[in-house]
Amino acid sequence: MKILVEKDIEFLVECLKKTLNVNVKINGVNHLQITLEKNYLLSAVEYISQNSEFNAHLITMLASDERELNGNFKLYIIFSVIQPRTILTLEILLDKDKPSYPALSEKIPSLNWHEREIHDLFGIVPDGIELDPLVLHRDWPHGKYFPLRNDFLLNKQFPFGEVNHEFSQPHGEGMHQIAVGPIHAGIIEPGHLRFCAIGEEIYKFDAQLFYTHKGLEKMAYGKSVEEVLVLAEHTCGMCAFSHSSAFCQAVENLGGIKIPRRAAYLRTIGLEMERISNHMADLMAICSAGGLSFGASHAGRLREFLMGLNHDFAGHRFFRNLNTIGGLKRNISDEFCKLLLEKLEKFKPQFQEWEQLITNNDSLLDRLELTGFLSNENGLKLGIVGPAARASNIDRDVRRDYPYFAYEDYVVKVPIYEDGDALARMQVRIDEVYESLRLIKNLINNLPSGSILDHNSLKYPIHTPSISIVESAKGELSHFIMLGEENKVFRWHVRSASYMNWRGVVQATMGQDRFKNIVPDGPLVNKSFNLCYACVDR
Amino acid sequence: MPVWIGKFFMLNILKMIAKTKIVTEKSPLIESIDFETLQKDLSRFEKLDYEVKRALSKSLTIRHLDSGSSNAEEAELLALSNPVYDITRFGIDFTASPRHADVLTISGPVTRQLKIAMDRTYNAMPYPKIVVAVGDGACNGSVYQNTYACLGRVDQFLPVDIYIPGDPPTPEVILKGLLMCKLILIEKKGRL
Repeated sequence: MKILVEKDIEFLVECLKKTLNVNVKINGVNHLQITLEKNYLLSAVEYISQNSEFNAHLITMLASDERELNGNFKLYIIFSVIQPRTILTLEILLDKDKPSYPALSEKIPSLNWHEREIHDLFGIVPDGIELDPLVLHRDWPHGKYFPLRNDFLLNKQFPFGEVNHEFSQPHGEGMHQIAVGPIHAGIIEPGHLRFCAIGEEIYKFDAQLFYTHKGLEKMAYGKSVEEVLVLAEHTCGMCAFSHSSAFCQAVENLGGIKIPRRAAYLRTIGLEMERISNHMADLMAICSAGGLSFGASHAGRLREFLMGLNHDFAGHRFFRNLNTIGGLKRNISDEFCKLLLEKLEKFKPQFQEWEQLITNNDSLLDRLELTGFLSNENGLKLGIVGPAARASNIDRDVRRDYPYFAYEDYVVKVPIYEDGDALARMQVRIDEVYESLRLIKNLINNLPSGSILDHNSLKYPIHTPSISIVESAKGELSHFIMLGEENKVFRWHVRSASYMNWRGVVQATMGQDRFKNIVPDGPLVNKSFNLCYACVDR
Repeated sequence: MPVWIGKFFMLNILKMIAKTKIVTEKSPLIESIDFETLQKDLSRFEKLDYEVKRALSKSLTIRHLDSGSSNAEEAELLALSNPVYDITRFGIDFTASPRHADVLTISGPVTRQLKIAMDRTYNAMPYPKIVVAVGDGACNGSVYQNTYACLGRVDQFLPVDIYIPGDPPTPEVILKGLLMCKLILIEKKGRL
């Protein structure tokens, strides 16, 4: 099996060398680095992402200010390749005075937000397209100050201005606009949404996010790995454990640390617990947005039960302060894991009963069917991830495709639905809850004994990028880390699941062809994705 | 779907309700709060018993504002309305508009891009205004440093009446803090 994998990687390397005429550097296990001239960038990205032999999937694109190292800015474009299983990084050096590169987002629409973010934060210009600001709103002195460049002082502040977002203003008979937010009516995070409707039907939908942009990636610069781990946990509350696991995994890959089996199993149990409780929250939100308060309150009760279990399991309702580099901070005893299993066995029939009632309720089904349709092509084009992707017939799950921790030992069954509507997204979540319960049972029954922390190596190679991908409840998220001297963080980048899916929400709300939505469907479509804002904005 | 389920759908709902019984937890009653510390904290109240009883019988409406938290605080606030905590039994409710609100709960360090929206929400509230900082981010800035986009804790910008620290605070703790708001509301109304 191992030989086969090595051969495959050689095959991939040969393909790339031949087609792109470049050198390929193999960094560590299963990480290919390619340095490219910027002129070949577009053809290389197209070749890799459209070649069905590799089955490559674009993870993220980020920039890094490496002027103090090699006098250039650097652009990283990261792919995950399924056949053979590896991570592929394209690196492009950009001139320090006038950094620019040929724009990619026209050919690859899923990179639109990435390009705009890099433009705002680094001042790196994609040639050939006009960009609206994204991360920094219009009152920021654009074009003069670029906060993620290393010579920008951490707490330099600017006076406020009136923010007037420029939305397109369609005109016509019966056309009106509905502005929502940034402070919403419910208890959700801030974001400005704007519906353009003709009568009841939504004609156009636009979202202005990044209100809670805190500059976490700037905060991480020059901090120790442990300090940044805390920041990673505080990127998002709902998927805190996925974020901290992804961060730890990135650092462990960098240092060549192999975490003990027991720690890997416990981490996996934690990830699955987080998935179930997040899915319960999502299902609750779908029920309450669909007007079925019976379903919502029972889902709330079940979620609270799970949150109590999380608290017992990890000592924190959101799994904070449990992960550390090389394993876990606290051991969780076998007896306790058995107790957890017993409680989950009690949870399962209750969930089953609830699920039977919900999925057979005509009033809810009527609201969900054909609402918020997202086609397979649009999903692929926008790079949708997670349950939303699986509901649109995109067969992708990091747990199965790039197994990490204890997923290496277990095959995860991935539910796929073809409908692409809100109902399919609900059903994916319900199926995943059952699958997670099955996984937790297997994991606890086969829990290995031994230590939970690897103290061996704390020496990391400097200025070497490391990427990890983890499947959170909302979809795949990736952490990029590069350490500088004295193990201080040089660049840390988070690409959360919601970051990819937000444009999917916009697309699904607008609908297409005969799948148009009305204004009251807006919240339901939003809730059927149930995305975070905190880890998008960072 | 199996036909029989659709047929007896309402029956099944009733069955589930009857089987579940009441899951609501006991309230964190005023007795369970340490009375001496409460008296020290609220020494400004004379005739504590009467005031407390009167205050707790009043209702309270809350407008929540996320000024840049990680969404953990929102998840816990949302949990308050589930049947286990059931915040409406105390006469506390979340309202959609700041113009109907007695209390503004704020979570997270204030970000640059939300500063204006926060000020406007505060200004839209009627007097007496009560501001509650929920979570470490709002109380002291938590792990977030001040950056170009993050301005720090809430009380630099708005007068905060109650701090509910925690990372995030559990729903019980938030509930206690909100009950305390009722006492402050009565006191502030008396002063007007």
